[in-house]
Amino acid sequence: MTITGLDPTTGPLERLTPPGADSHRVLAIRPPSLSGQVIGLVANGLGRGEVMLDALFDELRATDDVFGVVKVVKGSVSIPPDETDWGRLTRSATVAITGFGG
Amino acid sequence: MPPPVTKSYARTTIPEVTENLDLVAPRVDYASAEDLMEDYFERGWTDGLPVVPPTPASVERFLATAGLAPSEILGRVATREVVVTAEHAAINAVMAGCRPEYFPVVVAAVRAHLSEMGNCHSTTATLSGAVQIVIINGPIRREIDVACESGCFGPGFRANATIGRALRLVIRNACRAVPGVIDRASFSSPMRYSFCFGENEESGNWVPLHVERGFPAHDSTATVHSSMVVIPATDFTSRRPEGVADTIVLTMRRRGLIGDRWLGDRHNLVMVVGPEHQRYFLEAGWSKDDLRAYVWPRLMAPTTSEHDRSVNIGRPDGLLIVAAGGPGMAETWLLVPHLALAVTVRIGTPPDTIGP
Repeated sequence: MTITGLDPTTGPLERLTPPGADSHRVLAIRPPSLSGQVIGLVANGLGRGEVMLDALFDELRATDDVFGVVKVVKGSVSIPPDETDWGRLTRSATVAITGFGG
Repeated sequence: MPPPVTKSYARTTIPEVTENLDLVAPRVDYASAEDLMEDYFERGWTDGLPVVPPTPASVERFLATAGLAPSEILGRVATREVVVTAEHAAINAVMAGCRPEYFPVVVAAVRAHLSEMGNCHSTTATLSGAVQIVIINGPIRREIDVACESGCFGPGFRANATIGRALRLVIRNACRAVPGVIDRASFSSPMRYSFCFGENEESGNWVPLHVERGFPAHDSTATVHSSMVVIPATDFTSRRPEGVADTIVLTMRRRGLIGDRWLGDRHNLVMVVGPEHQRYFLEAGWSKDDLRAYVWPRLMAPTTSEHDRSVNIGRPDGLLIVAAGGPGMAETWLLVPHLALAVTVRIGTPPDTIGP
């Protein structure tokens, strides 16, 4: 006699990660250089993260030939950026920097 | 030796399943229940404990008890591209060891957690390992034997243990909060295995939580509160309500609570008042509103030092007061919020939702 069990999931976890990627950590592709890049800064609202990102951009601007910056400050630490901010990032930024936590 | 205690359970009539519901979950056949269990471990489908085999027949029975079609959508987690259906909830509730009559409570808890202000993504991915706590109100507590008194936070009570576990399995399996993957908790918490209890509505004349939140007393509800930390406020010496309330304030202000722009002025702090504290409030004629009126401005007062911090819960009704626990320890437990509101959903249909 066999027993039939049902799959309790909504799909494999791998669906959220690119093929071939380590399912535990997925890192974005690093650009070879910041020259000509538009830097997206995503401040998540924790601590003094916004100040830190501003200082980081000043440093990058001084040392690399970056083209510009798009800065997003999330509406709250507790939620993702809203659609308007996602749009600004995906339309304009070619590389993005953020922190995480909470 | 005393005779063993026997108890007659009031059981809900479970409908017979006469037709094959349209279950869509993939099926796997096993030679035995043990094989199933081992394979579920290997696939990462459990919380680390053995599960009850979720057979099509048992899942259909659960769905029939709640009167739900398998495809009924209970909620979504947009950031994870996840849609959670009644079928997902039923499979995980069977696995958790629920009885069929518990399933409507699980459904309400899942709906509450997956409502927008339940903020599933943040509260289950967080480094802090926030805990999802289910508080049950109304007649169903007694119908399915939800523990509300001594030991109600701990093990030993099937309804408490399995309803809380079912929500956790839904969070893991359906919402994909797998530790080390989307769940990034640094330590996580043993309270995440299961945390479910009922309000002891019979311990005094306090208005039950669900009635305070706008439901009639004859309704039953599940409130899900995501909590970052749980703190006991212990006071054995005070004999007056003001003294007990001052201890609660002092305990909470040691930690403090900052606001959140998204939640605005609607933060929820849950105070679970044990009977050794509640009796001083009852003897003095304090209602929940009286306790709230005393505590709220003292919590909200500005920070004065590193060890005396403001507790920003916005509005007085953000303080949710629940009577529970047993005699002995003179404690009130403070369920400090993570980045979500406590959401209350009526058990059954229609599933009215109340936020703050």
